[in-house]
Amino acid sequence: MKKHYIIFAGLVLMGIFYPQMFPGYLSVAITLLLYAGWATAWDILGGWAGQVSLGHASFVGLGAYFVAVETSHHEIAPWWAVLMALIAAAILAYLWGRLTFKLKGPYFTLSTIAIAEVFRLIAINEGWLTGGATGVFIMTLPEPFGLDLFSRQVNYYLALAFAAITVLVVMLISRSKFGYQLRAVREDEDSAMASGINPTTVKLKAFMLSGALTALGGGIYAIFLSFIEPHIIFYLLLSVQIALTAIIGGRGTIWGPCIGALLVVGSGELFRTTFAEANMLIYGLLIMVVVIFMPRGIVGEPARYLIRRVYAKRAQS
Amino acid sequence: MFDYVSFLQNLSNGVLIGGVYALIGVGLTLVFGVMKIINFAHGDFVILGMYCSVLLNSLFGWDPYLSLLVAMPLGFVTGALLQRLVLSRLMEAPPESSLLVTLGLALVIGNILLLTFGAEPKSVNVSYASSTVSLGDVSFSLILLLAGLATMVVIAGLYTVLNHTELGRAIRATADNRLGAELVGINTRWIEAVVFGIGMALAVTAGVVLIPLLFATPTFSGAIFTLKAFVVTVLGGLGNIGAAIAGGLLLGVVEVMGASYLTSDYRDAYGLLVFLLILLLRPEGLFGKTVKRV
Repeated sequence: MKKHYIIFAGLVLMGIFYPQMFPGYLSVAITLLLYAGWATAWDILGGWAGQVSLGHASFVGLGAYFVAVETSHHEIAPWWAVLMALIAAAILAYLWGRLTFKLKGPYFTLSTIAIAEVFRLIAINEGWLTGGATGVFIMTLPEPFGLDLFSRQVNYYLALAFAAITVLVVMLISRSKFGYQLRAVREDEDSAMASGINPTTVKLKAFMLSGALTALGGGIYAIFLSFIEPHIIFYLLLSVQIALTAIIGGRGTIWGPCIGALLVVGSGELFRTTFAEANMLIYGLLIMVVVIFMPRGIVGEPARYLIRRVYAKRAQS
Repeated sequence: MFDYVSFLQNLSNGVLIGGVYALIGVGLTLVFGVMKIINFAHGDFVILGMYCSVLLNSLFGWDPYLSLLVAMPLGFVTGALLQRLVLSRLMEAPPESSLLVTLGLALVIGNILLLTFGAEPKSVNVSYASSTVSLGDVSFSLILLLAGLATMVVIAGLYTVLNHTELGRAIRATADNRLGAELVGINTRWIEAVVFGIGMALAVTAGVVLIPLLFATPTFSGAIFTLKAFVVTVLGGLGNIGAAIAGGLLLGVVEVMGASYLTSDYRDAYGLLVFLLILLLRPEGLFGKTVKRV
């Protein structure tokens, strides 16, 4: 576990000096960090608790819309808007989970798609609330401590902070009682119940944490884009991208979602000119290869191998 | 005053479009019944059918319904190959794996179509596109009638195969009890390939039937059709073909009625809301047998 914290500190340090080293590649890095954060947040529910959600775009949209609408229509500072979004996301996740956690496996996944689609339609059609199908522009933002929130550098550090917070949360969870409860529920709900764990409560906590963190990233995303459209931000493809990033990297691992983000955002950037708008082709091919040949993901598969070897050695001596 | 003519008009439109939904749903439910996998690429198979028709029309000027002769066998062979080469590797894996692989397949199909045909919507223009057949005050769109007719023929054919042939018996046996079917000498791996082929052929047929009505777009509409297919099958109860037909008709009617009597902005949401309600209140489906919960 100590090793993980050292890696974490090293990566954050590298992240802090990145803008000085590669000032030309800030937008890619912001996208990468946002996806790393979202995938890690998704993984709390999807990997650690084992509930595959394809509706996380709703939380991205919620965070983004809170920031965009509150700052442009009600002149509320973005940090208060983000705080409101976090609370709203946790409440939404609670209600959503209450409603659907009795569904198991693929049925749960299908219900998340349906709910997320309803939110997308609401965002498009209820113009009084969201600005309608045309989207919302963020025109002005306050300047805390003289920082221009529109500048790429500030966006970058916000995204870095977001990714670092989610990874840190997952690191803390992985060794806590809550983390073991999550894994117990994932492996076998009945056995978890037999050992005194209430699966619904545990899953609800995971969903609320996951949803709130995703909304945090959504708020930063809105500031980064400064223009949000309901078609894109609430769309199923964004949910799919978030989920696949985590699954390709390795579900239920600390670094899997980050490696996944590096892989998909990196390869998306590499093939940007070859495939143009068909960039989801890479996600499709990667997920097929990973699920068929490395079911535990790119990080999960070698990690399992190492752990097994350690146990095998222990058993020999 | 309640307007009976427009009510009947909406009802007939709903039933006809619902027939096509049923066609899509039947393929999905058949595959689920036999292989116990949820096929996320099903909607993209529909889109593949649409593009097949568009291609044949632009190359040889074929009528969309004529292209069924090519599209159906092609769909069957492609589906069977996909099952043998890709999905058969996952039969032992947890249920999410097949969901994820078919999701990947959906992305691959959609994006390859995008690379080949470009992003702009495509359609086939037929001379009879706006013709209608009148019955009293209610008029039926000819295209919708043909779609309904094609759906009925295909489903009747499927029904005959399933209930009156040796192959159908083998398929039903595999769906009921895989091990039992293997014990009496049925090659279940072969049956699975055949069933996935049939499922894809049905989806492709639905796509061809829909092309005079709708525009084909490579990446967006696939997910919508997949979702509709899920709504249809869950409405009826997964794995039950008769129920999928009823579910399809119900979805068509709910959508058209909701769009004309409430607000058309939420046309796609009505089906989803009904879907959620059923998933939560009667997970076994409207017509499914009630499973005793322990």
